[in-house]
Amino acid sequence: MKKNYVNQLVFIIVGLSLLFALYLQYEIVKSTDKLKHDEIVKSEKYAKKIVDYLQLKTDNKIISTLKNDPNLRSELNDVLQTFLTEKFQYIFVLNKDSKGHYRFLLDGSKEEPVEFQTIFFPQSKTFDNVFLTHQMHIAQQEDGTQKIWLSLLYPINENGETQALLVMDISEEYADYLNNINSPLQSVAMMMQIFLFISMVVLIWMAYRYHRFRQTVLIDKLTGAHTKLFLEEFFNRKKLGSCNAILIDIDEFKEVNAKFGYGVGDKVLKEFVETIQTFLSLDDILVRIGGGEFFIAIPKTEQELDFFVQDLFINLKIKRYLIDNELVSLNVSMSAMVIPDEVLSLQNVLRVLDEKLLEVKNKGKNDYIVLKSETFASLQYGNMDYIKEALEDQRLVCLYQPIYDIENGKIAKYEALVRLRDKIDSEKLITPNYFLPAIRGTTQYIKMSKLVLEEVFSKLHVYTDIKISMNLDLNDLYSSDMMKLINKNLYKNREVANRITFEILEYDEIIDYEKASIIFQQLRAYGSQIAIDDFGSGYSNFTYLIRLNIDIVKIDGSLIRELAISSDRTKIVIQGINDMAVQLGMKVIAEFIYDETVYHTVESLKIRYAQGNYLGEPKPIEAYEKFNKV
Amino acid sequence: MRKLFLSLLLISVQLHALEKESTFKIYSSIFNALGLKKPITVYVKGREYKEVFKGSGDIKISDSFEHSDIVLVTSVKTLDWIKKKIDQNFEYSPLIFATDYHFLKKEDRIIGAFYWRKGRSQLLFLKKRLEFYHIQLPREYQQFIVDEL
Repeated sequence: MKKNYVNQLVFIIVGLSLLFALYLQYEIVKSTDKLKHDEIVKSEKYAKKIVDYLQLKTDNKIISTLKNDPNLRSELNDVLQTFLTEKFQYIFVLNKDSKGHYRFLLDGSKEEPVEFQTIFFPQSKTFDNVFLTHQMHIAQQEDGTQKIWLSLLYPINENGETQALLVMDISEEYADYLNNINSPLQSVAMMMQIFLFISMVVLIWMAYRYHRFRQTVLIDKLTGAHTKLFLEEFFNRKKLGSCNAILIDIDEFKEVNAKFGYGVGDKVLKEFVETIQTFLSLDDILVRIGGGEFFIAIPKTEQELDFFVQDLFINLKIKRYLIDNELVSLNVSMSAMVIPDEVLSLQNVLRVLDEKLLEVKNKGKNDYIVLKSETFASLQYGNMDYIKEALEDQRLVCLYQPIYDIENGKIAKYEALVRLRDKIDSEKLITPNYFLPAIRGTTQYIKMSKLVLEEVFSKLHVYTDIKISMNLDLNDLYSSDMMKLINKNLYKNREVANRITFEILEYDEIIDYEKASIIFQQLRAYGSQIAIDDFGSGYSNFTYLIRLNIDIVKIDGSLIRELAISSDRTKIVIQGINDMAVQLGMKVIAEFIYDETVYHTVESLKIRYAQGNYLGEPKPIEAYEKFNKV
Repeated sequence: MRKLFLSLLLISVQLHALEKESTFKIYSSIFNALGLKKPITVYVKGREYKEVFKGSGDIKISDSFEHSDIVLVTSVKTLDWIKKKIDQNFEYSPLIFATDYHFLKKEDRIIGAFYWRKGRSQLLFLKKRLEFYHIQLPREYQQFIVDEL
């Protein structure tokens, strides 16, 4: 973009310089014209004086007087001769005879003046005009004249009629002299113009070459669609949020190439693009992302995205391609979205569309999905860059949900729940289901765990009477980096480590119980407790109770929810879990207590601990421990 | 330096050629206006004028005064010589055209002249002399016919 402005600036500077040079030239020409005009005005004054003198000497009867007085003619010829300078080439007086021919009355030539009444052909109609108008005229150089720039024709009038005219021919040499006064400046202006004109031509040529080069880089040679490079450039100029985006992929396009050859594949692609283009307006852009994958950006001001996608999908499906005398159709998968205004990265848009396209393909292909802007907002929380930035910006937050001892009605401990603050709306907290899957197994996950551990231990130091449990994925515990981090923090905070409980979540079935036991042992080294989370669902099964050394069992929320549907049967199952756990010396916590009825049911089942929004929502710990701070 | 000299030489030769060409055109159109049969043979003395008519298909230079259609008088000396010639053998006398106004005054048999005055080209024919030779000029030349000098 910056480079473009520089180019435009260069063009403007050269253009302005060229205009300046032209203006300079215009001013020089104007100045030369003024010089010439001044000289003509001066000559006119001379002419008037001469005519006045001639009329005085001839007593206003020039023709008859001169006819009869050869001496006066000679005297006046001498007078005219005195005015002959470099400026005036010829000075003479003419009259018109009865046939309309011009004849000499006087001639100021130095050598051999033309005889009185010698015939003369002036080669200009302007001479006649003087006789008609009785006014001074200027005759410009015409064909059939030599060495004369212009002729000043001054009438000698008697009683309102023109009797004769004084001709003062200004020499061509004098005109050259006047022109030459400004000629150095004119040459400079001319050189400037030539130089700047050439520069402008070179710049235009270079711009054209650059444009051609860009065309080759930005336009896909095969299909005529734009390239991905163009897409990036397009969104450098245009706001992402001003467009709707569509990703199209031809299903099994490789098979077309494999079955019919690349030549046929290319032909199909061209036709495919032509079909898409019939749906696009001039403001829309079509980009070939790769192989048979295309991206479309449409300004939001155009038609409704859902209808557009539906229409395009149907038409792409019904389109038939003639291959080897056989009409073949293509299946396409599409994902589309209204790009939210706040989205800043094209990569995010492409990633989300790509993910959704993959979903369509996984569900059997040949279909489309249109995302709403809210969906996109939540999807971007799973972006690694977004999470990384959140951690760097210290937007990680721990909320604490109380776990009550039903027997005494007091808070027995808190469960630490991690959240991220939204980048734009700081009031909005993002729950782990959006971001944890994206970072699991990465350095960002370790970084997040480290921050959570530091936060939890800091709270345990501040509030000496509380206990906190935090979640850990069993798979993470198999990572030596993670274990090192936990052990380091446990050792560092060993005086409060006995008030922490690790709630173990498992996404895969435990196969190696021995290894799990060793890990649990390490976690318990400083008096910490182990809880099995979500017991009764997924892979959490009774074998855990038998083979692992567990302190607490947390009954899964789905079982608690079942109390409202099939109350009696669920009660029996929950009662059974509780009885077994208690008999094994474990504490039992019922999660997801969402209303009073559920709470009383759980209470009636003699479950000792309960947790849920009905009892207390996840909040900053200060909300629950206002008065207990050390 | 050599190149510069050569260029200047070429330019001057070209200018000379242009002048020669325009002079030829003027005389060619004047002579054609006189209604003579082509090719018109011209008797002229003086190398410059001979050069002008050299190589033309319509106008031929004649070495013989008697066998020429037009005599172009370019100097007083030529005028005197021609006058003598005409006086000796009036029967074969061709049309006489001059390159100076004064020649018209000196010799009554000159039908017209083309010359330069005050930087302007001047062409004139004398009416009586044209009539004497039964010459009818085209319409565009009528303006150059005068009754008297």
